[in-house]
Amino acid sequence: MFNKQNQGEALGEFETIIGPSVKVKGDFNGQGNIIVEGEVQGNLKTNGNLEVGEKAKITANVEAKEAKIGGEVAGNLKIKGFLEITATAKIFGDLETASLSIERGAVFNGKCLMTAGQTEIKKPSQEK
Amino acid sequence: MNIFIYDSFLNQKKYDRLLARLETRITDLGLNGKISRLGPTRNVQEAVNNELKRGAKTIVSVGNDKTINQIINALAGSQVSLGIVPIGQANNDIAKSLGIESAEAACDILSARLLAKLDLGLANQTYFLSNVSINNQGTVIDMNKSYTIETAEKGLIYIFNLIHQQIKLPPKVKIMPNDGFLELVISTYGHKSFFTKQDHQSIFKIKKITIHNLKAQLLLDGSIALAVPAVITVAPKCLNVIVGKNKNF
Repeated sequence: MFNKQNQGEALGEFETIIGPSVKVKGDFNGQGNIIVEGEVQGNLKTNGNLEVGEKAKITANVEAKEAKIGGEVAGNLKIKGFLEITATAKIFGDLETASLSIERGAVFNGKCLMTAGQTEIKKPSQEK
Repeated sequence: MNIFIYDSFLNQKKYDRLLARLETRITDLGLNGKISRLGPTRNVQEAVNNELKRGAKTIVSVGNDKTINQIINALAGSQVSLGIVPIGQANNDIAKSLGIESAEAACDILSARLLAKLDLGLANQTYFLSNVSINNQGTVIDMNKSYTIETAEKGLIYIFNLIHQQIKLPPKVKIMPNDGFLELVISTYGHKSFFTKQDHQSIFKIKKITIHNLKAQLLLDGSIALAVPAVITVAPKCLNVIVGKNKNF
C-alpha cells in the first residue's frame, strides 16, 4: 500500500473511514482498506490496508494486511506485509510484521517479531 | 405498456403546460401509455398494484423523490421497470443521481431504456432508494451487536444506497447502489461548508444496522418520516430502473 511496488493499490478505494469525532467500541472486522482518524477501543481487524492518522487513538489489538501508523496505538500490531511507522506515531505494544520502517521521532515501546524470515526458512522443508 | 403515474401535486394548474409539452414529446417518441393521476382518494400502492395486475411493462414516476419512494414501495421485488420523470429542480436528487437532469431529458432516457438493477434499502418495512438520515444527537448506532459508534460533535447520520451529486465524499470512497451494501456516513458540523471537510466524515460499509433515538425520526429519501428504533438492511438488486448515461455510479 505504501511502498512504490504497490503504488497501484495505494490508490485503491477505502471501505471505512473513522473520522476525528467518532469513537468505535467493540470488535471491528473489515474487509477493505480502513482509515482511522478518531478513536477505536476493542479489536480492529481487516483483510485490507490500514492507515492511522496523527490524531487517532487506538486502544486495541490490530490486524491488517499492510499499515501506516501516524497516531497512538496501545495494543499489539500484527501486519502481514509492510508496516510503516511515521514520526508522529506512539506505539505501546508488540509488533509482528514481515517488513518494517520506523521514522525518526516515533515512539515504540514493545517487542518486535519479523515474520518474513521465519516463513522463508519453512518453505523449502515444506516443498520437500 | 408504459404507465405514467402523476403525483397529486401535478393537479395544480401551473404544471399544465409542462405536462402538455411532456406528453407531446412522449407521443413523438412512441412511448405513450396510460396516465394514472394520484389524488386525495387514490394512493400510489393501489394505483401501482392495479397496473401490475393488468400487465404493466414500465411504471414511470412523474413527480419528485417522494413520488419515487412511494412507487418503489409498491414495486419492490417485481420485474417491472421503473422510469423517472422529475418535475422541477427541488426534491429531485434521486433523478439527478441516476443521470436524469430534467423532464425533457427524461423522455429521451425512457426511449433509450438503459436498465440498471439496483439495491434498495429497507428501514423496518419501508423501502428507500437513495438514503435515510437522522440527527446524531441522542442517536445510538448498533452494528450487528459487534461494535457501537459514538460521535462527539453535532451532525447528521446518513445511510446511503445511492449518493446525491451535491454530497462530496473523500476521493477514494465510492458508493455503488448495486454492490449489496449500504454506506453509513456520519457527518459532523463544525465548519461552515457542510460535507466539504473530509476529516469530519466517517464512513462504514454495512449490511444491517439498528438505529435508536428517543426524540428524532428517520427521514427516508428526504421525504418520508419513520419512527425509530429502526432496523435498516439492504435488499440486493430488487429494482429495475431506467437510468441516464450520466448516472453517478
